[in-house]
Amino acid sequence: MTKPEPTHRPRRWSWRRAGASGLFHVAAIVISLAFVLPLVWMVSVSLRKTGLTLPHTIQWLPQEPQWQNYLRLFQILPMGRYFLNSLLITALGVPLSLLFGSWAGFAMSQVGKRARRRLLAFTVILMMVPTTALWLARFVMFARLGQTNSYIPLLAPVLLGASPLLVLLFYWNFRRIPLETFESARLDGATPLLSWWHIALPQARPTLAAAAMLAFIFFWNDFITPLLYLRSQRLYTLSIGLMQLQEMDKTNWPLVLAAAALVTLPPLLIFLAVQRKFLNESWLSGK
Amino acid sequence: MKRFFTHHAATYSLLAPYLIGALLLVIIPAGLAFALAFYRYDGLMTPAWRGWGNFIDVAFDPLFWIALANSLFFIVVAVPLRLLAALGLALLYNRPRRGVGVYRAIAYLPSVIPDAAYALVWLWIFNPLYGPLNAILNALGLPTPAWLLEYSLAKPALALMALFPIGEGFVILLAGLKNIPHELYDAAHVDGASRWQAFRRITLPVLTPWLMLLSIRDIILTFQSTFTPAFLMTQGGPYYATLFLPLMVYEEAFEGLRFGIGAAIMLLMFLITLFIILLVYWLFEEGWGYDET
Repeated sequence: MTKPEPTHRPRRWSWRRAGASGLFHVAAIVISLAFVLPLVWMVSVSLRKTGLTLPHTIQWLPQEPQWQNYLRLFQILPMGRYFLNSLLITALGVPLSLLFGSWAGFAMSQVGKRARRRLLAFTVILMMVPTTALWLARFVMFARLGQTNSYIPLLAPVLLGASPLLVLLFYWNFRRIPLETFESARLDGATPLLSWWHIALPQARPTLAAAAMLAFIFFWNDFITPLLYLRSQRLYTLSIGLMQLQEMDKTNWPLVLAAAALVTLPPLLIFLAVQRKFLNESWLSGK
Repeated sequence: MKRFFTHHAATYSLLAPYLIGALLLVIIPAGLAFALAFYRYDGLMTPAWRGWGNFIDVAFDPLFWIALANSLFFIVVAVPLRLLAALGLALLYNRPRRGVGVYRAIAYLPSVIPDAAYALVWLWIFNPLYGPLNAILNALGLPTPAWLLEYSLAKPALALMALFPIGEGFVILLAGLKNIPHELYDAAHVDGASRWQAFRRITLPVLTPWLMLLSIRDIILTFQSTFTPAFLMTQGGPYYATLFLPLMVYEEAFEGLRFGIGAAIMLLMFLITLFIILLVYWLFEEGWGYDET
């Protein structure tokens, strides 16, 4: 199961190796099934007829898929509005997080050794502080600033690059670029901002893709912050709408899971679009 | 010389948003939380000094001890299992071979689902009458318990659903495995080491710092990630079986408007986390004999 075999050794076909490969695929398929089943069930239940007594057996696909369940969502609650609100927050949050996060990572990769070590330690500590321990105090602070029922508290994490993890990702990436490249740019009169834009960022495309996805998930999937801060319905996000829908009728599973599928679709699409960029050998091995 | 300094200052200025963010979102709130724990505050009136009063109230509240035990259960049971699952996946999907890209992507999928949606899907899966889990168990002739409605099963059920969104740990360990030079394995092979020995002597020591970092991160995230399922699926029940510390803080502060009590619980939670992290650190340093060289 561990893979100590180097890849460069010539290999010949053998029964033993074919058996091992078959075993691997069987295991991988069983594991993969367990990982996709929740998504499959989400969609299959969301297409069932509402109001009917539910069958006691597993129904993989309902006989007549009820696509209108998805339309009903928008009639029962202002889901369109919620969708746009979530989209607005994410559309502001992702680019700003990438901007500030990559700035911080870039600056960390450029400063002297001592400052760099301190900043790294600081970032790791920031990552270790449980956000839960700060909810309440952040809320009291934002309330004092008159910023409850606003998107400011939801978007404030952009300053930290959504999460210090993203800053570290950028830092690791920029550290791999030889310092001489930046040195010669500096002698040519390039400001740090110009070096960041023209030298560092173009070499960080896969990292940018991975960071953009993580930031998208951070803002789009956020449930707790909107729950704590948003009071008026016109500001609600999709996750809050999902909770509202469930509170309205707990037994209406087709509609509740249709809403769940609706919330899941955008991050899923983003993930499928960018996964090849960071789940491949070269990005993972940092080459 | 002057240009060097302005260049230096310009580099540091790129750090400004990040440092301001840290001050505004972490340092000030941390100080504020510390202060609030010693005050009575309902969000409207001026805070009134209470000294250790909040902590004494918390210590005599049996619910606090239940919530603490529940949270610790999650740390002791779910965190190591999540780590093992991520490690197992990383080892299985490490070697480049046909189809491995698809398997890796599928393993990441649950981590992409928004927390609220994930909680509601599992609420359906665990549904005692119509849920697919019991349908499968029934078809296999196994007992079909009421899962989230049963006192002894509600917590393990929530731990079970936490075993799937492990994408971040999986990718980090996969990256850790990629950075082990092949020569090490070649040398071990020449020396006649078995696969298990190679794993024990090469793979594991190299991964240890990553495993430590991940377990610390997971312990911290657990405090956060237990909130949404407990809030949306069980409301802390049955009989407080899934009342975790963050849910209790939410109820005290945002529903009961006792911000001081909430802050006191948070401070205790923070200290306990710190203690556990030091314990984990010590465990990895002592028990696994890892050293930097």
